[in-house]
Amino acid sequence: MDAREDPDDVDRVLAGDISAFERIVHRWQGPLINLAYRFCRDRSRAEDMAQEAFLRVYRGLKNWRRDAAFSSWMFAVAMNTYRTELKRMPERLLPFENFEVLDAVIAESPAPNDGDRDRAVRRAVSALPEKYKEALVLFYFHEMDVTAAAKSLGLPEGTVKARLSRGRKILREKLPRFLGELRLEEAQ
Amino acid sequence: MKPDDLDRVLLRETEIVPSSGFARSVMAAVRREAAAPPPIPFPWKRALPGLTAFAVAIVLAFRETAPSASSLAQSHWADGVLRMVGEVQATGAGWALLAMLMTGAGLKLTWELKRRW
Repeated sequence: MDAREDPDDVDRVLAGDISAFERIVHRWQGPLINLAYRFCRDRSRAEDMAQEAFLRVYRGLKNWRRDAAFSSWMFAVAMNTYRTELKRMPERLLPFENFEVLDAVIAESPAPNDGDRDRAVRRAVSALPEKYKEALVLFYFHEMDVTAAAKSLGLPEGTVKARLSRGRKILREKLPRFLGELRLEEAQ
Repeated sequence: MKPDDLDRVLLRETEIVPSSGFARSVMAAVRREAAAPPPIPFPWKRALPGLTAFAVAIVLAFRETAPSASSLAQSHWADGVLRMVGEVQATGAGWALLAMLMTGAGLKLTWELKRRW
């Protein structure tokens, strides 16, 4: 199964063959659940969010204009769903100020393992203001493809680049020792 | 944008594998959705005469009250009313009142239509 089959499957669903939607679900369940997980950090909730996204995709299939790839349109629908869902029940966050403490603890630890570092950075990303967090999450989800991230967010590429730059700047400011140490280690 | 340390950390994400029943659960929800009757559209054709009559009545009421307000200004009672209307207009409460009246009328109309069908 590959994404080139999406338009045919959409045509079948629109013609009344609901089982064709199952192929779409099988093809995209992984990406949609993983995208949701990056926002909520809870497996079970990520599946609930992805299910709601698939339902909205199903309801809105006739609105897909074929000038863009089906996946781009689907990710945009999913992002809107996730945004609504996260507003309704926000992720429990560490207060942003606490990252100074977190940064110091990890930087002073003699041998911080990668898991700790990754968790710290992801928690910092989660605590960013919504627009920077969305830009960063989508950018890395699409493996650093600004165009794909912009399409998923429904924003111009320039806006996404500006938000990425600002988001990364805030992260460096909030975790200066931690990110500084990481850079040093990698240089050795 | 050059890949750097931050990129490396954020690219290293745990991949979540969908649970075995996920696709089945989504398809069950989709089938329920497909089986549900379509929402009843608002009967614009039947409601249009009533809505038009309501709009015309509002416009006529405004046109009727505007000239009569100056003649009523002779009396103390009318003075009080006019002052009150002036205050209501100054605070913008008049529009809120009108909006509330129209919402109420709309709700009543919808309720009546729903009861009849």
